[in-house]
Amino acid sequence: MRLADRICNRFEHDGDFIIEEHILAGRPVRIMGFKSLINLPKTWANLQSRVREASLDFSRDPDSALIVLNRLGHRISEPDEAALLAVMTAGDLIIFYEDPDTYLDVVPIPVTLTRSIEQPLNENVLQGSASAFNDDLATNFGLLKKELNSASLCTKVYLSGNHSPRKLALLYLEDQVEPNLLHEVTERLEANKNRDLYNLQRICKALGFQPWKAVPKFYTTELPMEAAHALRQGRIVLFMDRFPFAMILPALVGDIFMMENDRNYPILFMYLIRGLRIAGIMINLIMPGLYVALVSVNPEVLRIELALSIAESRSGVPYPAFVETLLLLVVLELIIVASVRLPKSIGPTLTVVGGIILGQAVVEAKLVSSLLIIILAATTIANSAVVGFQNSLPIRLFKYLTLILASLFGVLGILSGLVIICAYLASATTYGIPYLYFIKPKDDSHDG
Amino acid sequence: MMSRRLLLKLAMLACCTLTLSGCWDNRDINHRSLPVVMGISREDSKYKVFLDIPQTSDDGTRSMLVTRTGQTITEVVDEISSNMETRVDLLHLKVIIFERKYAEEGLIDSISSFMRSREISAKAMVAICDEDLGTFFSKLQKNSSSDQTVLYNFFEKNAGWSPSVAVTRTWEIFRSIHSYTRDIAIPLIKSGKSTVIENVGAAIIREGRMVGQITADETLLMNAFDEESAHGKIEVMNHASVLIVSNSMKHHVALKDGDPYMRSQINLKVSVLETRGEPSVDMIKDELETLLTQRFNKMFKNIQRHEADILGVGQYFRTRIPRNKLAHWRTEYLPRLKIDLDVKTTIQNEGNLKTVRDASIK
Amino acid sequence: MMDKSLQVVLVHILIHIGLIFFIFPTNIIDTTTAAHWIPILLGFLFHWILISLYTKGLSLFESQNLLDIYIQFSKPVAVIFLLPLFIYTFMVTSVTIRAYAETISLVFLSDTPLWAIMLLTLLISGYITSLGVQALFRTGMLMALIFFPLIAFVLCMSFQNVDWHYIFPLWNRHFSFLTNPDYLESSFAFFGGFMYLGFIQPKVLFKRKKIIWGSLLLLPFFLMAVYIPLLTFGEETASQYHFPFIVAVDTIDITWLMFDRITMFFLLCTVTFVMLFTALTAWINVEILRRCIPKSIRTSYIVIGLSLLTFIMGINIPDWRDVELLFGLNAWMRLYVYLTIPSSIFILGWISRRKEAAAA
Repeated sequence: MRLADRICNRFEHDGDFIIEEHILAGRPVRIMGFKSLINLPKTWANLQSRVREASLDFSRDPDSALIVLNRLGHRISEPDEAALLAVMTAGDLIIFYEDPDTYLDVVPIPVTLTRSIEQPLNENVLQGSASAFNDDLATNFGLLKKELNSASLCTKVYLSGNHSPRKLALLYLEDQVEPNLLHEVTERLEANKNRDLYNLQRICKALGFQPWKAVPKFYTTELPMEAAHALRQGRIVLFMDRFPFAMILPALVGDIFMMENDRNYPILFMYLIRGLRIAGIMINLIMPGLYVALVSVNPEVLRIELALSIAESRSGVPYPAFVETLLLLVVLELIIVASVRLPKSIGPTLTVVGGIILGQAVVEAKLVSSLLIIILAATTIANSAVVGFQNSLPIRLFKYLTLILASLFGVLGILSGLVIICAYLASATTYGIPYLYFIKPKDDSHDG
Repeated sequence: MMSRRLLLKLAMLACCTLTLSGCWDNRDINHRSLPVVMGISREDSKYKVFLDIPQTSDDGTRSMLVTRTGQTITEVVDEISSNMETRVDLLHLKVIIFERKYAEEGLIDSISSFMRSREISAKAMVAICDEDLGTFFSKLQKNSSSDQTVLYNFFEKNAGWSPSVAVTRTWEIFRSIHSYTRDIAIPLIKSGKSTVIENVGAAIIREGRMVGQITADETLLMNAFDEESAHGKIEVMNHASVLIVSNSMKHHVALKDGDPYMRSQINLKVSVLETRGEPSVDMIKDELETLLTQRFNKMFKNIQRHEADILGVGQYFRTRIPRNKLAHWRTEYLPRLKIDLDVKTTIQNEGNLKTVRDASIK
Repeated sequence: MMDKSLQVVLVHILIHIGLIFFIFPTNIIDTTTAAHWIPILLGFLFHWILISLYTKGLSLFESQNLLDIYIQFSKPVAVIFLLPLFIYTFMVTSVTIRAYAETISLVFLSDTPLWAIMLLTLLISGYITSLGVQALFRTGMLMALIFFPLIAFVLCMSFQNVDWHYIFPLWNRHFSFLTNPDYLESSFAFFGGFMYLGFIQPKVLFKRKKIIWGSLLLLPFFLMAVYIPLLTFGEETASQYHFPFIVAVDTIDITWLMFDRITMFFLLCTVTFVMLFTALTAWINVEILRRCIPKSIRTSYIVIGLSLLTFIMGINIPDWRDVELLFGLNAWMRLYVYLTIPSSIFILGWISRRKEAAAA
């Protein structure tokens, strides 16, 4: 059986597959491909117009027809089933003609399967370019190139994985990048070429990161401005096809509270904003623990008026402060987790219900003290002050450490929790670059 | 499996912390009684302790008075604690009141044990009650059952304090017991007729014992001398009353033939509040100056008689008198100290009404 | 490699702050009745000279480790100098942890058992030790950023109840404090914690000049630790306390703050600095041990073993009097270690320079 027939048989019940017979350049050809990936009418029109432009009379000169046909795409040198399938799943069109048996890989006009360039979904921009990265790799390149506009921008594209190959691109500025970092990353990517990379955990594994670390190893951003800034700092940007964000390697502590976009404000406000973000982090880490410490271990630290009012608001609460705080924290975490996934039309319901439950009913039912509600509200708000969603996750986790230690050792527990967090952050390194490292862009002449 | 082992470790850690937290009892604040005021009197070599404990309940906070007698203060507190449904913590004790009789016997032991104790803050304020503690507390209880911090606010600088009230903290008394050159005055209070508390003046304490007392007006002068702010005080004279706006001190000390000599100048800025008749500004000034000088001299004689340096004058002589002699400051130098007080007043303004400037016009 | 002088200076200051504010004030106040600045300045001068000598000696060897330097001369030399150092640092960690746990339970956590506090401090310092020295210095940097504002705030506030008249008399003709055993004990703060300088190179590089000038920043802390209680209470009263500085800070009354006893924040900050100190000293011991035992044993096991030993030793000290006794004993060891090692390094450095010059 011929190859073309075998493929026909294989896709007999596949509604997406098309195989059509046409005449092109005076010769019978068969075209094969997937409907969902190829805009067939347009592609066909395009092919025909290209053939017509040759303005040759194919009926008199069959050889010239071959030449014209071969220019439409590149020839698949050793056609077998796997090779053809790979070409087709990648979204290309195959033209097949006989005498001699030739399979041409033609780049078609694709069906648009990507959003147009939109505003960022996970972070809002004030005073700055609003176009965000997209699912499409090429679009992302383009956005970054437009933002950076530099000849020293290098791009390395990898195709990794055997079962479902995926494009992976590595971008850096030739004259800025840390050579050691670049070497480590490329070496690891080359070594793991066979691995299918379809989620971030797998990428982490391919890049050789310890999987259980709480500190993010790369900083993901949707904004070309941030990615360009990272490149200027000598960091590496990774793009993956179908991932609408740039992964910046390595992540540094500054990413938690510093954005390049802050520089679009006057310097004074930039520092104020960054200061607020740091304050938010501290509040988030300390507040719940402080409440437990002050209520159950070190009440002498509170002023008497405050102590009495807390005691009053806590009277009738049947469990220790630690359990009380933990209970409400879990509810709050649930609200956050739930509201991330909920459709936009149901979201408000959740907010209202959550607001009523947490704001009033719990206090009135004497399940928790009213002060705790205030504290946890402050904590949750503060948690959102940091830059980037993935950066807020470790902070959300760390506050439980201070909470537990505070319930055991009071204020000492909070401070030792902070020390442990400091040590943990200090111990995190990416390819020898410590997490607690502040890079200044090498061409940076302005302050800050 | 690396991850599974890690999970196991984490689970173990969690279990450990949960069991650990049961090991020592951290009591929540609503299971502790936090007395704000403690009264101590002595009856037949036994301590009688009054504790004013705010009781929190669902319908607000009410205070409760607990009394007990025992050999030591801690014993009494422990007994009270075991008889209550919550534990008594003295962490938030703000005011300690001694009965006058006990203060005259000597407070050294009590003050030292307060300083030694971890629980009682060194900042707790001390007062002496000029009447029977039982009646004082029962009146306090009656008048202020819903507000627990009445007594505390009475002494608190940014609340109800006024400059004719002395404020003395535990550590200051402890310091005065051991210091060579400094004694202390403890506020003297009793229950008032219309107000909850009435300020009587201050007790002169010498080495932990109450030896005499000064009046409320004299306490104001003492506060001014210590450069505490004496603002807002209305000074009533024959012709006018004034408001002290600011006060400052200047001291000059010398040893003349082994006798200590001190020249002090109080600068007062006042504003006129009320006049009777038509006094001129100069008259008010003169009257104020003579009144204050007389008052100060009277107080100082009193102090010298009791050999208790509540003004801390000795501090100024630390540079003049060698250390080994300084130890006898109270007995040898203080009674011989000559002090010249010069009151300088400036009438800063006269309020909204014009006042006659010069006496001659009148 | 980058110059990490800033980190080293910060950690140097932090661990000394941890050491200064607990036992040091009472030691100094006990040594003399007047003019306390004389013993403080003298001790500080000594501290400064020793650091200069030590770093000078180290700089003569191109960023080498103390261990490498001694072993390069001969094994016995290494043993003579490093064995006492090892014993001293081991003792100092266990006694310090015990003493601080005692203080903490005395001042803030009366309900918490002693072993739990010791366990916490040891676990944390052991954790930091196991992360390695570079991470330790970065931790110190972060801690300085977080805790230093708090410390500065409380120190400024602690002048609230100061009566400057207590500063007199300013002069004391008797230098009897030199023979007072308390003075020797106060050396715990003066030169309890700079031996690490010889071990951190070449992993953490520093510039000698910056360390020497940076250590001058400690002088105000030394003075404040003694003078704040002295000026608040007067010498006669301050000498009555076990921890005069703590009580002095306890007298601060800030009406606009929502917290009542800010002592707690200050002292617990210094406790965290002490954790850093014990981590650093334990790290020195680990480094020494790693040379003595087979390479196959993992560093983390050494850390765990050492922490366990420290814990057992600390928990077996019966009472505060014994802690003080051990501190006294420790002081003599310290005198030996801190006099011999810097001077020997200086002399050895000088010798090796001479040899090189002769060879060239």
